[in-house]
Amino acid sequence: MPRFEYLFRETTSGLRRNGLVAFAAISTTFIALFLFGLSLLISRQVSLMIEATTGNVEVAVYLTDPVNLDNVQSLTNTLNDLDVVADVHYENKQEACDRFRRLFAEQEALVNNVDCDALPASLRVKMEDPEQYAQVQAVLKGQPGIEQIVDQSAFLDRLFAVTRVFRVGVLLVAFVMLVSASILIANTVRMGLFARRKEIGIMKLVGATNWRIRMPFLVEGLFESLIGAVAAILFLFAIKVAFINPLNESVQFIPWIVNRDVIAIIPILLIAGAIVALLAGLVGMRRFLDV
Amino acid sequence: MISLQRVTKVYRNGTTALEDVTVDVEKGEFVFIVGQSGSGKSTFIRLLLKEEEATKGDIYVAGKNLAKLTSWKVPHLRRNIGTVFQDFKLLQDKTVFENVAFALEVIGKPKHVIDQRVPEILELVGLGDKLNNFPDELSGGEQQRVSIARACVNRPLVLLADEPTGNLDPSTSVEIMRLLDKVNRIGTTVCMATHDQAIVDAMRRRVIELDKGHVVRDQARGVYS
Repeated sequence: MPRFEYLFRETTSGLRRNGLVAFAAISTTFIALFLFGLSLLISRQVSLMIEATTGNVEVAVYLTDPVNLDNVQSLTNTLNDLDVVADVHYENKQEACDRFRRLFAEQEALVNNVDCDALPASLRVKMEDPEQYAQVQAVLKGQPGIEQIVDQSAFLDRLFAVTRVFRVGVLLVAFVMLVSASILIANTVRMGLFARRKEIGIMKLVGATNWRIRMPFLVEGLFESLIGAVAAILFLFAIKVAFINPLNESVQFIPWIVNRDVIAIIPILLIAGAIVALLAGLVGMRRFLDV
Repeated sequence: MISLQRVTKVYRNGTTALEDVTVDVEKGEFVFIVGQSGSGKSTFIRLLLKEEEATKGDIYVAGKNLAKLTSWKVPHLRRNIGTVFQDFKLLQDKTVFENVAFALEVIGKPKHVIDQRVPEILELVGLGDKLNNFPDELSGGEQQRVSIARACVNRPLVLLADEPTGNLDPSTSVEIMRLLDKVNRIGTTVCMATHDQAIVDAMRRRVIELDKGHVVRDQARGVYS
């Protein structure tokens, strides 16, 4: 492996030499990864909202207070006997409360003001086939201890339809930007190779391996895209602080993404940036470095 | 050390640069390749470096059959071969020391080896006092000495020189030849392509003459023509 000092020197001199193109590459990578991260955060936000409102199941059977556990067992058995039901889970008041507190952890006012006892216990029904909601309704009709049966699949469908358009749009723009970013990175690599063709010629003559010759150029591209990735991450954090934090105060009934959600996408963005840079680098020096 | 067996090289555009060439060079020999421009001298050198591949025939350098050498092993072949050119091929933004050190640096030699060998070889070529000069501060002869130092710093088995005196005046050329002779005497096989008649006649070493891609003369202690 080339020594670090050597790589560092070659990389920084490369960046100095074609600063403008490097800047274009960095800023395009930044925009691309920012949009990519944004679409990831949007999906995270949507899934939080879905979990809060539906608990990730298609049908919720809310039970009357107080809950009779024998009755719960017989209702569960009845539901499990249906072919269209995949799974039935009994969520007692404590579990409902825990879920609520987890989702709204950052909205203290809300958590403090809601009495856990006010949250109803329920049977969470996961459907094999959500279209067959009528069967669930029919089999539970007239059974004791049921407050309300809610079919959430229609709501889920609508939510998915709306967010899908939005996410696909953002992802599409991110993809186009990533492609232009990689073309720009490939271009900086190519310019670097051209500017240093004499050095490369000598390196080949004295027996430097291909990887030894390529490494500084790959590192240069990698460096550019990682700067873009770091900027994108900082920007996403800024967005979260500037827009989501005030919402946390004002819009209390929706769980919002927290810092941890932003942190979770950091490795994804860094890896995406690295992959783009390496692919761009390899494309940029294709046919340029044959022995 | 160098062996060409019935080697033919036809370029993609149809030009035949070498045809049915058979040459053997022993370890420690000093060989002139002479001939007019276009006689195949440069192709000869390029084949030995595996910059080009022979169309027919076998080439052995330092015990390796070049046709069977995979591309990722080519760099290791080249570490055994020093090369010197007419145009010196020095990097103008690096000092004399850095130019020579570059050759070791890019093949991954550690710093302590570089710090020991570079001043040593520059002393040998007579530039021990110009380590920190840049190439444009040196005369043509001095620049060629730097390039010879760079070619030899990794202690190659073979030194290939393509018209090393082509850009130099006669008296400087003689100095360069003395240096190449010195390199040869420490055991390096030297193979020099030239059309400098005076030098070949003065040295009285083995002469291989090429004409239109054929070996027309292979003479020990020969003269130019």
